[in-house]
Amino acid sequence: MLELVELTKDYRNKPRAVDDVTLRLEAGVLGLLGPNGAGKSSLMRIAATVTRPTRGRVLFDGVDVVARPDVLRRTLGYLPQDFGVHPHLTAVEFLSYLAAVKGLSRRSARRRIPELLELVNLSAAAKRPLGGYSGGMLRRVGIAQALLADPRVIVVDEPTAGLDPQERVRFRTLLSDLASDKVVVLSTHIVSDLETVTDDIAVLAGGRLVHRGSLDRLLGAVAGQVWEMTVAPADVARVQAGHVVTRLIRTSSGVRVRVLAPSPPSPRAEPATPDIEDAYLGLVR
Amino acid sequence: MILAVAMAGFRERRRRPAYAVVLLAAVGLGYLAIPAPGSHWTIVSLGGYRGVYNSAYTGTVAALAGALWLCVGGFFVVRTALAQDRATGVRELLVASRMRSASYLIGTFLGNFLVLASMAGALAVTAALMQLARAESTALSPVALLTPFVLLTLPVLAVTAALAVLWETVPGLRGGFGNVVWFGVALIGMIAAQSATAPLGGLGTGLLTDSLRTAMTAQGLRPEEGAIGFMYLDTAPTTFLWTGFPVTAGLVGQRVLLALGAVVVAVLPALWFARLSPLRSSGGPQRAVPGQPQDSSSADAVAYSRGAEAARSTFARLVLGEARVLLAGVSRWWWAVAAVLFVAAIFVPSRALLLASWGWPVLVWSRLGLRGRDVGVDALLAAAPRPVARLLAEWVAGVVFTAAVGGAAIVRSAPEAWAGALFVPSLALLLGLVSGVPRLFQALYLALWWCVVNEFAFLDYLGAVPGGPSPLAIAAASAVLLALATAVTTTRHRLR
Repeated sequence: MLELVELTKDYRNKPRAVDDVTLRLEAGVLGLLGPNGAGKSSLMRIAATVTRPTRGRVLFDGVDVVARPDVLRRTLGYLPQDFGVHPHLTAVEFLSYLAAVKGLSRRSARRRIPELLELVNLSAAAKRPLGGYSGGMLRRVGIAQALLADPRVIVVDEPTAGLDPQERVRFRTLLSDLASDKVVVLSTHIVSDLETVTDDIAVLAGGRLVHRGSLDRLLGAVAGQVWEMTVAPADVARVQAGHVVTRLIRTSSGVRVRVLAPSPPSPRAEPATPDIEDAYLGLVR
Repeated sequence: MILAVAMAGFRERRRRPAYAVVLLAAVGLGYLAIPAPGSHWTIVSLGGYRGVYNSAYTGTVAALAGALWLCVGGFFVVRTALAQDRATGVRELLVASRMRSASYLIGTFLGNFLVLASMAGALAVTAALMQLARAESTALSPVALLTPFVLLTLPVLAVTAALAVLWETVPGLRGGFGNVVWFGVALIGMIAAQSATAPLGGLGTGLLTDSLRTAMTAQGLRPEEGAIGFMYLDTAPTTFLWTGFPVTAGLVGQRVLLALGAVVVAVLPALWFARLSPLRSSGGPQRAVPGQPQDSSSADAVAYSRGAEAARSTFARLVLGEARVLLAGVSRWWWAVAAVLFVAAIFVPSRALLLASWGWPVLVWSRLGLRGRDVGVDALLAAAPRPVARLLAEWVAGVVFTAAVGGAAIVRSAPEAWAGALFVPSLALLLGLVSGVPRLFQALYLALWWCVVNEFAFLDYLGAVPGGPSPLAIAAASAVLLALATAVTTTRHRLR
């Protein structure tokens, strides 16, 4: 459905943001992980036709949408990491405006706007000016606008930032539902968010795609390399200097350290079951 | 800490497009202020005489022109320093520091002053180059060239920098209304400051003309009343030698006092700014209205409903949406005054009401073309289809609004002003699109409007002055502006 082919993005006087990335996407959620500056947002912006790639193609149903972006835009739901709203408009007015911008019929707009506001739990605040909304409420308005045209492709950058735990759960459930027939590209720093919504994970580092595959494959990369041990507080710095430390928990008997290492880092180290954070840090560190 | 705030403010604004625009205009002004030797144009004339283009004369006329331009144009570059800190969250970071409001205001004032002074510096370099280019005197004297900048321009820029801080701390003056007020204040202030009796020397024009007349008398010439401003003379002005105005202790004292007065003006808002800003111990950022309390059931997943039809055309709804965005948040007071002007224009046809009706909506027009950049909606619109259709819808919304607000004055006072209803939204759309801020249109439109008020026929877009362009010419100019706006949108879309 959506293909990102050999994409490269260069910005003037900056290191290459995206370096020869190819991703082929069908219905389902692709979780995009990577450290700050890895090129995730640039890749998302290219996928959403907001930015042109320096090289490469974006194909939607075989159509080159770098040259003809409106083909994708008509059926695209895009939620950027940072966005604003018209503060004097209510949620209903703002979504009505965006429905016209996206080319939605009047009848569909009238039906979908209340439904989507209910979906993101904003019905009670629908007629209040957006200028009075909290950060989490605005993020939910952003989610609602992304879904206005019942898009076939959804590109969401850090969608759960600012949401409370209940809303995050609600959003993850929604994503799983959407993934049955839509392409969803989800970029996040919250690694644990991905475990519950997708089995398809891509990891970017330095603009390059360093992993694409299932969660099991990602976890397999660090199988047998995760260890836990308790050390004295004074020894923590020494452990950190020699190994990739993925977790530190201070306990009454010392500091419980979770470490990535090919062999036991200490005679007292016990093997642990890898999780997605271990695998991610193992890839990007 | 104060210097850190000043340098941060200076660096931030130095990298903005508006800085480059005003700087280039200042350099252009330097060029215009020193016309070619045989030219009939001059900026200072005493009965058909002007000074030889030596360092003292070129420096002085450039310094005066710079003071006049930078206190209007430069003000619009520096007047958003505090708003910028608030919008970017920098002010919240400062709240957590030990910085006092007075220190913050002085730092901001110094930052503003550095921005304006750097523009004056560019103007001084231009003046030196122009002296060499005009070649009436090739002896370059840095002291003679820079003295007028130091004594005439910099104190005026200090006052401008301080007033920019003051404007940002007075609630009614923070927004677009403050820009309009500044335009009026600057015009009146500049006229008053050119008086020979202006306090603390004003702009320094009194001092200059006195000195020029003294030099002329000493050279056996008969000085007449001096005039300052761009003038076209019937014959090219005759030159005489002038080596600069006398730098006396009294003059230096006056200018230092003016600069100190500026510091006082800048720090004065600390008296009330502490109550308005988060830079105090009990303050804090503006809080959002909390959402509805949620129970656990409200967080349960709701089924997503599929299906959405595309419309054949959404242009009418786009126009309505753009009109709603354009008029959202316009105060009742604004509407009340607009209604009074509208009704009065119906019953009392007059040129004054026509001009008032076409000056009042400047703040609304200045929102055209921003395309959500002022509030961050552009991030969402960037992935939306049909950018040109949206632009045209916005233009139609602007034209309809203009016709509605100014319609009564058009029909009753100047039917030929219909073309103005096309011209003003087109101009606003293009300037908003190019600059991304409302200030450029506010400043340029007010200057244009002021020219019509003063009966400059060739700039009359309203048909209010006899001998002005025909409505068809104005309509054609509107079409060109709209075409340019469309070209900008299309090009940006291609270069995205």
